[in-house]
Amino acid sequence: MSQKRFPAQDYDVVVVGAGHAGCEAASAAARMGFKTILITIHLETIAQMSCNPAIGGLAKGQLVREIDALGGLMGLLADETGIQFRLLNRSRGGAVQAPRAQCDKARYRMVMKKWLEDTLNLTVFQGIVTDVLVEKGKARGVKTQDGQSIHGRTVIISPGTFLNGLIHMGLQSYSAGRANEPAAVSLGKNLWRLGLKVFRLKTGTPMRLDAHTIDWDAFTPQQGDDLPVPFSFRTCHPLENKVICYFGYTNAQTHDVIRKNMDKSPLFSGLITGIGPRYCPSIEDKVIKFPQHTRHQFFLEPEGVETAEIYVNGLSSSLPYDVQVDFLKTIPGLDQAKILRPAYGIEYDAVSPTELKPSLEVDTIDNLFLAGQINGTSGYEEAAAQGIMAGINACLKIRKQDPFVLRRDEAYIGVLVDDLVTRGVEEPYRLFTSRAEYRLSLRADNADSRLIQYGRKYGLIGEGDLLAFLAKQEKIRRLFAFLQKEKRCLGNLPKISLKEWLKNPDVSLQSVLEYKKFPEPLTDEEMRHTEAEIKYEGYLRRQEKEIDRIQRLDGTKIPEGIDFQKVPGLTREIVEKLGKIRPKTIGNAKRIQGITPAAIINLGLYLKVRKKPTFHVKH
Amino acid sequence: MNDTIIAISTPPGYGGLGIVRLSGRKSLSISKRIFRPRRKCWRDISARTSILGDIFDSEKKEFIDEAFLAYFPAPRSYTRENVVEISCHGSPVILEEVVRLGIRAGARPAHPGEFTLRAYLGGRMDIIQAEAVNDLITAASLHQAKISLGQLRGGLSRRIELLRSQVVDLISLLEASIEFPEEGLGIPPGEAASRLEKILQAINALIASYETGRAMTEGLNLAIVGRANVGKSTLFNALLDHERAIVSPYPGTTRDYLRERIKIKGSFFHLIDMAGLERPSHPVEKDGIRRSRELASRADGILFVLDASRNESQADLGLIEKFKKKRMILVFNKADLPGRIDRSKCRAVIPTSRSIGVSALKGTNIARLKNAIWETFSAGESIHEDVILHMRQKTLFEQVSFALEDGLKRLREGHPEEICAEEVRRALPFIGQLTGEIRVDEVMTNIFSRFCVGK
Repeated sequence: MSQKRFPAQDYDVVVVGAGHAGCEAASAAARMGFKTILITIHLETIAQMSCNPAIGGLAKGQLVREIDALGGLMGLLADETGIQFRLLNRSRGGAVQAPRAQCDKARYRMVMKKWLEDTLNLTVFQGIVTDVLVEKGKARGVKTQDGQSIHGRTVIISPGTFLNGLIHMGLQSYSAGRANEPAAVSLGKNLWRLGLKVFRLKTGTPMRLDAHTIDWDAFTPQQGDDLPVPFSFRTCHPLENKVICYFGYTNAQTHDVIRKNMDKSPLFSGLITGIGPRYCPSIEDKVIKFPQHTRHQFFLEPEGVETAEIYVNGLSSSLPYDVQVDFLKTIPGLDQAKILRPAYGIEYDAVSPTELKPSLEVDTIDNLFLAGQINGTSGYEEAAAQGIMAGINACLKIRKQDPFVLRRDEAYIGVLVDDLVTRGVEEPYRLFTSRAEYRLSLRADNADSRLIQYGRKYGLIGEGDLLAFLAKQEKIRRLFAFLQKEKRCLGNLPKISLKEWLKNPDVSLQSVLEYKKFPEPLTDEEMRHTEAEIKYEGYLRRQEKEIDRIQRLDGTKIPEGIDFQKVPGLTREIVEKLGKIRPKTIGNAKRIQGITPAAIINLGLYLKVRKKPTFHVKH
Repeated sequence: MNDTIIAISTPPGYGGLGIVRLSGRKSLSISKRIFRPRRKCWRDISARTSILGDIFDSEKKEFIDEAFLAYFPAPRSYTRENVVEISCHGSPVILEEVVRLGIRAGARPAHPGEFTLRAYLGGRMDIIQAEAVNDLITAASLHQAKISLGQLRGGLSRRIELLRSQVVDLISLLEASIEFPEEGLGIPPGEAASRLEKILQAINALIASYETGRAMTEGLNLAIVGRANVGKSTLFNALLDHERAIVSPYPGTTRDYLRERIKIKGSFFHLIDMAGLERPSHPVEKDGIRRSRELASRADGILFVLDASRNESQADLGLIEKFKKKRMILVFNKADLPGRIDRSKCRAVIPTSRSIGVSALKGTNIARLKNAIWETFSAGESIHEDVILHMRQKTLFEQVSFALEDGLKRLREGHPEEICAEEVRRALPFIGQLTGEIRVDEVMTNIFSRFCVGK
């Protein structure tokens, strides 16, 4: 315990930034048995939800499940601190159903802080990192503003918007990582000096209002689910909805006020050069881009149980404070509302993720890993997913083991990381279910069966959790057998199994089991999983075959001495790139930035033709 | 692709003018070694203007021919590479000599179609336009050339582009409703289904047009149908301008069929002369008649021959009735003899068809008949852009169609959006092979430009 209380200066893993990425990274590294330090600018705002008070949603909810199956914290924490739970897309199939929860922001960061403080091998430390120490192309640790050198065998950087952050409100701007917290300015410059491709991104957050000053009758309530669905496979206690969210609309007057003040918007006056997320536009963006819309929806979401702060989802803005006050006055119900924290826009530095290996290690600097917003993503869940991957890979690097890389057909995490490192980003990257080629296979309900073996392999899933999972698998197998064996008659048609019957779009597992009772008790989770597996069965088989085919193609070896110039139909650029990187397999070649699918087809054909034996006539 | 290629790009044989073309990085430097400008220096040469000079064999130190040279620097050239065109006198000997000199100076002889291939790979045209160039060069008929030219100008490409954007729209709508369930985006399943139907109709029309396209390249099959001894073979010979079929005054002379190609105004037609469709009097004839029926029903059009010098019979009318779904011309033959047939009664069976009186024996009105054939059966101008000529395109469209059909079926059965989307997504790689690849980012961009997303 002494090393925990008095931080020594030598660590295995140094994590810079204690946001959603940093916390997962540090926790994973420490639990894998490595001496870890997590350095944060402000101890009070560990795991702070800088923007909306919610975890999950489409694709993001699936991500949280995957993080959970790997042994990460986010799912458990969201269940622990959640105050309203909803499963989205209930009317659709399991592949696009995703859990989402409103969380108590204050409790979220306090519980995370406690968990990290209680983690063996982990030191949480307050400081501002100014430099990554690099010797001979290898990261050796970091230097803080107060002059300390902290050595580490690996370094993970996850600074979020703090990396050279610049807050905009109207035409005013000031350096900050989050409202009233200092930015990490030197670190941004340092990374640039280390040769990383640094570019500018932008995001924003809406105003927080005082609940007592809102006329709630003007808005439509949105309740949580009657039976909340937890994020974590390991959450056993029942979840409870403690708050109600509301939604309402802006109107023509609101838009008039915004239009009249557009000259005060840093975005439209050209002050902000960073690129913002299109899926999360500011209210002024919406008004300008969709002039035909007479109203825009927004949601009122409580930031916690013990606070009156209300998050106004949908009204993010970087207009000046007085304009925010003015346009709120035009909305019935918010006309008296008091702003507790104004909305603002923030620009920050990111590093082009194409400079990373799939392990999230920087290609040109050994032992240096980047995770979260610095890689161009947005969203707590995207950050946490990269965090746990970077944490695991930093440890594997120390152990000199192969990196942990998930495939696109295995997990949303695989899709996320692959998109980042092979395609790069132009705007803040958010995960969508449509980004996954195998959407029907990557579901919230089967995240454990896809990934828990990895969580166990790296020591982040305990034996008890694994056993519980195996028992669940067994029970589901029995349920499958039952549904296959039991038959029913439908009119004059020949008898069909319950499983076949369930494949009808309008039949649910619930109704099937009402027709014939399964002898064991089933949880909702088990029901959802079984139903999805059966409803999608044909598609899943087809996808398996395709995955198999692609994996075989990906595994095709590219001979070492190959002359790429001889491959027909490749552009000079691609020949040069292949010649420089010299991929070992087609799969590797595919992942090189700028290699087109057409080039892969040409390369594949060339290798195939080359393989054919040639006959020589001997004289 | 690093080589500089050279080839004669005018057709083989003697002509007033012949062009040798070079494409590749070293086009100009190779040209400098075989061409000497008369007045200007090389320094003064500007892009895309011709300069006068001479082809010069530096080894033998002799002039070959006077020539014009035009330089098209990349990327504003046919192949998007540096291109040089040397125009000299159109003698094969001279042109081959120029090519020989070019090869000696470092160029490589081009493979057939390599200029077009480079244009395609350089992004100058899409694959469909590239295929069209090839078709244009080898066009068998004027019509095919017109279709090819239409495709080269991007007619079919534009149409495929339109289909592509409709598919992107549909996917965007499906995905928007999946990705943003709280914002009420997307479309109800009924509208998705009707959009799918519309896209499918257009695709299936294109697939069907392949048959028309094939017929245009190879020529349409026209069956000469009628009862025995109405003069089908005489008409066949008259249209061919030479005696091909054996004719006799006796019914049933033609027992097998004959097929010959004729050309009318640049379009090809295959005339099929066959046995009269009548009750057979001989086993051999019986077989011939069965074959004739088959041929007639497979043909693209029918020349229905009637004997105008006899009264129409029930058999005649019955036969017209039988083929009335086909495009047809009623030919009243033996117009040189006193007419006894009631033409209006025959026409009444198939009122939309043209009819024409001819004498195959005397050659009367044969030119008019040819004209009528061209007007009735040739596709004419109306479809010149919307025809697919390639098996490859057809197969790809079929794959797209299968996937979309499945999507539509799932929607109608009441499956949720993600299942329908799964089927529609299957079409994307095939659309990608017809035109540009559809990536998620494009779908997302489309969603964000259509919908105000942003919770």
